[in-house]
Amino acid sequence: MHQGIAFRVAYVAAGERGDAEEAVQDGFVKAYRALGRFRDGAPFRPWLLRIVANEARNRRRSAGRRTGLALRAAAASGDAAPSPEAAAVAAERRDELLEALGRLDERDREVLVHRFLLELGEEETATALGIRRGTVKSRTSRALERLRAMVGEAES
Amino acid sequence: MSGLERELRALSAVVDWPAEPDVATTVADRLGERPPARPRRLRVAIVAVALLAALLAVLAVPPARTAILDWLGIGGARIVRVDELPPLPARRDFDVLGHRTSSVAAQAGAGFPLAEPPRDEPAPDEVRLAPGLRVSYIWRDGDDVRLLITQFPGRVGDPALLKKLVGRTTAVDRFEVDGDPAVWLEGGPHAVLFVAPDGTIRDDQGWLAGNTLLVDRDGVTMRVEGQLEREDAVELVRATRGR
Repeated sequence: MHQGIAFRVAYVAAGERGDAEEAVQDGFVKAYRALGRFRDGAPFRPWLLRIVANEARNRRRSAGRRTGLALRAAAASGDAAPSPEAAAVAAERRDELLEALGRLDERDREVLVHRFLLELGEEETATALGIRRGTVKSRTSRALERLRAMVGEAES
Repeated sequence: MSGLERELRALSAVVDWPAEPDVATTVADRLGERPPARPRRLRVAIVAVALLAALLAVLAVPPARTAILDWLGIGGARIVRVDELPPLPARRDFDVLGHRTSSVAAQAGAGFPLAEPPRDEPAPDEVRLAPGLRVSYIWRDGDDVRLLITQFPGRVGDPALLKKLVGRTTAVDRFEVDGDPAVWLEGGPHAVLFVAPDGTIRDDQGWLAGNTLLVDRDGVTMRVEGQLEREDAVELVRATRGR
């Protein structure tokens, strides 16, 4: 049930598929064994995501790998039959955005990916990243500014 | 929301994430190597264990090497067999089942097709409604509860509206009631737990069932709990038909 989102969170933090997979495995095992520390009534998913994200981050650091994230857009789908020209422009813009996200500073990228690409709420993002909710807000705002400086605002 | 935020949100639908690995088997194998110490103080801890166990069980884990011994699913209920049951609380708090209301209001507000209470029983002492989630009919006997009938929308394969945690000693028997899939749980304690829509895990501590019958009728699961024999429970379910 949580495997999909856990893997994506790990992938964002690790920046590499193999490490992300191992981080999910280790994170789940650790979560299982640390259930005694799980706070009564707290949402389960953010807690699990935080453990997985920490695992992934530690792996990336111990491998001495730079932060970075290569994301691609899949073939466009779900659009209401756009013209080939419109589809091409949209696809180009998507690639530009994803490429720019990959170039952002780790903390900026993480908060934007969690909030927008993974569609986590502020509270859940805060728990998963181990920061306060206010920090999520301010960091999101700053990260958007930096991204805007790189790619501009949408034309339409 | 700025245009850029909208664009980023739209990206979520088209990002080509790497294929999700199947980590369940590996995780389950590792968990099976050394069963975790189970702190007694946190009921919720156990609930979360079940959630994780359910997650793994969904992915067809070899049961012999894990704490997950068996897996059955019916309607919106999943039954997860575990090595050891949590200490069961004795509280009789039914708030978790929803707010008190009338049978009429429950019909109107359930959000799914609701069967009326069984014909030959007196009217329930309490009706509890959690809109869209479940409706419960409760019959009391002094401070105790004699009978509890809960209905909840259960789509087969739905990961979690309700889970049931059963111990090794509980017999689990699958059969049919008038062609509808049914499960009978007998002979040992079991706890009931819910995963709320917000992701919060809540255990149904109000009622620690005796024997239990679960019947999936056209996508709505009916759960009958009480000190009942199987035939009595089946008759109760039949008596809720024919409105």
